[in-house]
Parts: sequence; structure tokens; C-alpha cells
Amino acid sequence: MSDFFGTTTADTIATWIAAIVTLIVLGALIGERRVFGWSQHLLAGLATGFLALIALTEVIGPRLVQPLAADPTGRPELWAGVALVATAAGAPWLPRQLSMIPASIAIGALAAFALGGAVIGTLLPQIDASIVRQGGSLGTTVAGASAAVVTALVLIGFLHGRPRGRLVTTAAATGRWLLIGGLGGWLGFLIVSRLILLVDRIAFLLGDWLGLGR
Amino acid sequence: MNDHSRALTRAAPILLIIGLAIAWQAPDVGWLRLSDAESKRAELMTSALDALPDQPRVLIGYDPDLGTYAEIRQTARALLADLLARDGRLAFVSLTAEGRALASAELARLGRGEANPTRLLDVGFIPGAEAGLVGLTRDIRAGQLDDGAFTREVELEGIGAFDAIVVIGGNDLGPRSWVEQVMPRIGDVPLLSVTPIVLLPEVEPYLAGEQLAAGLTTPRDGAAYRESLELGNLSRLVESTEPRPLPLLLGMLVAVAVLGQALGARMLEHLRSAGSRSIG
Repeated sequence: MSDFFGTTTADTIATWIAAIVTLIVLGALIGERRVFGWSQHLLAGLATGFLALIALTEVIGPRLVQPLAADPTGRPELWAGVALVATAAGAPWLPRQLSMIPASIAIGALAAFALGGAVIGTLLPQIDASIVRQGGSLGTTVAGASAAVVTALVLIGFLHGRPRGRLVTTAAATGRWLLIGGLGGWLGFLIVSRLILLVDRIAFLLGDWLGLGR
Repeated sequence: MNDHSRALTRAAPILLIIGLAIAWQAPDVGWLRLSDAESKRAELMTSALDALPDQPRVLIGYDPDLGTYAEIRQTARALLADLLARDGRLAFVSLTAEGRALASAELARLGRGEANPTRLLDVGFIPGAEAGLVGLTRDIRAGQLDDGAFTREVELEGIGAFDAIVVIGGNDLGPRSWVEQVMPRIGDVPLLSVTPIVLLPEVEPYLAGEQLAAGLTTPRDGAAYRESLELGNLSRLVESTEPRPLPLLLGMLVAVAVLGQALGARMLEHLRSAGSRSIG
């Protein structure tokens, strides 16, 4: 039971709509693609509408318009934000050199945060954690050394377009096979996740919708 | 492919769904249990929660993925109920639109379950992905469901107001992003997580390196944690039915059989072509 819906009339209607849409999606399995296509459009429309709602009610309203209305001169950075948003919105009609500024800032800032965080938060602490330390158990030492070797081989596997020796070629091939093995394991996890989702939908149809208890 | 095998291929998904539905309705099998009685991850989570101060203030980063939420939903709800049973005060924040949708649904559900509204704070949606996370460490603006006291504390102290951070993950902005963007900027606040098994390879190094204080990463860990809970009156906040292991087992067997059949068919084809070459 998902327990997303209560017992009011609106909740009952929501349960029926969810059940019907679930059946439509499952219907695609037996080849009923047209109604399934409509359900995809419905999902895309709902997602876009929800995103717009969030943008208006939780970002633009409380974080931009309200502070500016309360103190128009005290927050100059928000006016810069307004200018960037306006530039992004008017991109189709503006010169390319101007319209690319907000996108460049957004991409640059995201890349900077992501890269900086990856180095400070992941790479350095993980190297520190996997360094073979004296006094650790044999298992810990072997696991740390194995992780370092596998990481190195997979990184070498990404080398391409340069002249290589026999050793590097072998290491790169081994790294690629390890990568494929890792992807295979990950796909196994994905099957478990998707299977649980399917069983949950069946439980929703049988339990929440049809009321068949166990 | 002949007509018979084409019809079988077409009917197979329906047969699978019918089989799963029957397995879901079938009585429990005693020897088949989802929970692992000796789950170290579940014990670690309980220990981490036990180590929190009385009435802990906890920031909940609620960003599951719609495609994997079914897997962690019951564990996430159990963890929220556990925190409320410990008189915790919970502030919900989301950095993705789908996380926000699910957080809203869960807050509404907690409201229907008559959870104490003064212990819940809706910080809302923070835009900007990683940049938003960094902004969260500097400034938190809140409040819809709280009576005011918790809101004032959070707005005054920011992220320093919290005794722990719990990340309900599943998409790109999961525990990894919190470890990378938030943990280097704040003090020794324990970071706990509930994630679907598909994120296990990503989360495992953080657990091993103790950057995550505790994490429930597999359905078995989640089931073991739920089984260990004693929520008393607040058990109304967890789901009334546990996931059934029999349909999962059936589905996994079918998946293995399909993969095995595909591999076997390729091997057979390879052997046949090798045999015909040697005869030729």
C-alpha cells in the first residue's frame, strides 16, 4: 500500500486516475501504444506544469520578487539576477554574444562547484581512506590495494589515441573489462530496483485500488 | 521467429504480471524473509540515531527518484517515524523537482497521520543543484508547517542548527553531492542516508571511508532496520504492509532465466557455427 492517498472523495478520484494510468502504461506491454503515448504526454505536461509552479511559488516569488519589492536598492545582486533571467528568456531575439552570457555563467558555476566538490569531497578523502595503512587488518589492506589497482586500470582503460606499449595496452584492455563487469553488476542492481517498482505498482492496483488485502 | 514463439513473446509480460500478482496474494513463506537479522548497516543506523542528542534537530534532504522511490519509500517513512519517536524536529528540503513533489506528498501524509506539526518544517525547494547545496550551508529560509520556534532557530543558526543530516537519495543530488558540497563546509554533523540499491556502488565508498555515518542501501538493510523499530503510538506513520519477498524472488528468477536463455542461445549458435565450419 503506497498510502499516498487518504479517504476523501478527492483521494478516491486520485486513486482511480492513478490506477487507470498505471493500466495504460502496463497496456504498452501488449502493444497498446497510442494511449500509452497520450499518457507520456500527460506526464510531460504535468511535470512541466509542476516545475513552472515550483519556479514561480518557491523561487521567483519568494527569492526574487518579494526581496526586491521589500528593498529595491538593498539587493543589487538580485537586479543582476533579473537581468540574467531576462536575457535568457529573450535569447531567441538577442545577439548570440549577449544571450550566451547567462548560460555560460550557469554552466561554469555548476562545473566549478561539481569539480571542486568532487576533488575536495570525494577524490582526496577517498584516496586518504584507501591508502594502505600500517596496523590495519589483512583484509582491509587487500581491499584497499585492490581498489587502488582497479581504479588505476579503469582510468588507463580510458586512454585512447596515443601510441602505447604492450603493457599499457594490456592494462587498458583489463580496465575496460573491469568497467564492463562493473556496469554488469550495476545493471543487476537496476533490475532489482525496477522489479520492486513493478511489484509496487501491482500491489497498488490490487491493494489500494481493488482493495484486495492479504 | 515462428507464430508460436511470437505469441509467447507477446504474452510473456502479461504472464509475468499475472504471476507476480498471484505471488503477491499468496500466503507468506516462512523460510523466505527480506530482512537480514544481522544487518550491520541497520545496526549502524540505529547506533548513529542513538548517538544523537535528545530532541535532535534533523535536516532531511528529500530527493528520491520517482523510479526507485518504491524501493526506499517504506524505509524512508520508517526513519521519519523513528526520528519523530525520538522527539526529533525535522526540516525538509529538496533540490530537485521530483524530490519536492515527493517531499510535499510525505509531509501531507505525515499531516494525515497527525504527526506533531510543530516538529515539522518545510524549507521547500532550493534551486541551483550543487550551487543550491552550497547556498544551503550559508543561509536557510523557511517555514510553512512550524509554529515558529523551530523556524526561528533554523533561520538564526542556519545549517548549524542541525544535529544530523539525513539524505533520502535516488537521483543525481544524493549522498555524494551532500558529501562533496556540504560536509567540507560544516563541522562534524553526522550524515545519514537512505538510498536505493542502484546507488550502492556510489555510496559504498563513503560508508567505508566513514564520510557517511550510516546508510541503508539495500532492501534487506531497510527491512532489517524496519523490523528493529519500536515506534509505539507512532507506528501509524509507517506503512501497514511490508513488501513481499515472494514476488521479488519470482521476478528475479524470471530475469535470470531470460538472461540465461539469451546467453545459452548465443552459445548454442556459436557452437553450431563452429561445428559446421569443422565439418565443411
